[in-house]
Amino acid sequence: MAAGNAPSAHEREQIIGMMEKEMEYRVDMFNKLTHTCFSKCVENKYKEAELNMGENSCIDRCVSKYWQVTNLVGQLLGNSRPPM
Amino acid sequence: MTSNPDSDSQNASSSQDASKPPIQTIHLPTMEEIQGQDIWNNCAVRSVVSGVMGGGLGLAMGLFLGALDNPLMQDQMTGRQQLIYQAKQMGQRSWSSCKAFAVMGFVFSAAECVVEKARAKHDITNTVVAGCVTGGAISARGGPKATCVGCAGFAAFSVVIEKFLERHT
Repeated sequence: MAAGNAPSAHEREQIIGMMEKEMEYRVDMFNKLTHTCFSKCVENKYKEAELNMGENSCIDRCVSKYWQVTNLVGQLLGNSRPPM
Repeated sequence: MTSNPDSDSQNASSSQDASKPPIQTIHLPTMEEIQGQDIWNNCAVRSVVSGVMGGGLGLAMGLFLGALDNPLMQDQMTGRQQLIYQAKQMGQRSWSSCKAFAVMGFVFSAAECVVEKARAKHDITNTVVAGCVTGGAISARGGPKATCVGCAGFAAFSVVIEKFLERHT
């Protein structure tokens, strides 16, 4: 922030807008991640209420891979600005 | 997430009451809750607990079967001697059976846990592989053929037990 100590009203609005967008993006990513990993890892039959160990490690791996993919795609999109 | 359907059903049923319970916000589990549930995902903890349970079962079975043994020289011993002999027999029987069952439970649970974690699936294949490993480990002293027979037999037995438990839980 190149301006003085306190941001002006306009800059404050910009910052709040960016934070809102960031919050929406994060919530959206959380929902998609949960939905993807749930539909991929948890079987439809629901024989018991607790997660099995297999489902647990499946969800661990799913979340890890999803996060890596998100970061990788973000880097690729960030590095190559002109569309291919 | 699990608290929401409860609060919804409470809202539906108590809509006629004067005071409705407030709708609960989404409650993500804290680190302690995750760790508390996670202790059951640890292979070492699981196999030790299974070994202890197997040992308890072996103790009970050994006591029961040892009580059925009759002493050989029943005429020549007094009542008190018979009792002492009986108690020793039961103790020996139950201790050896306790060890055997504890090892069985430990190996089976460890094998199943490792296989399930590696495959990341909850199948009957995990039970089959774990049963084969346990049966093979128990009958490994009789040579390769005895190992194969023990593997197949124990795998079939554990599949039967698993299906029985699934149906009745």
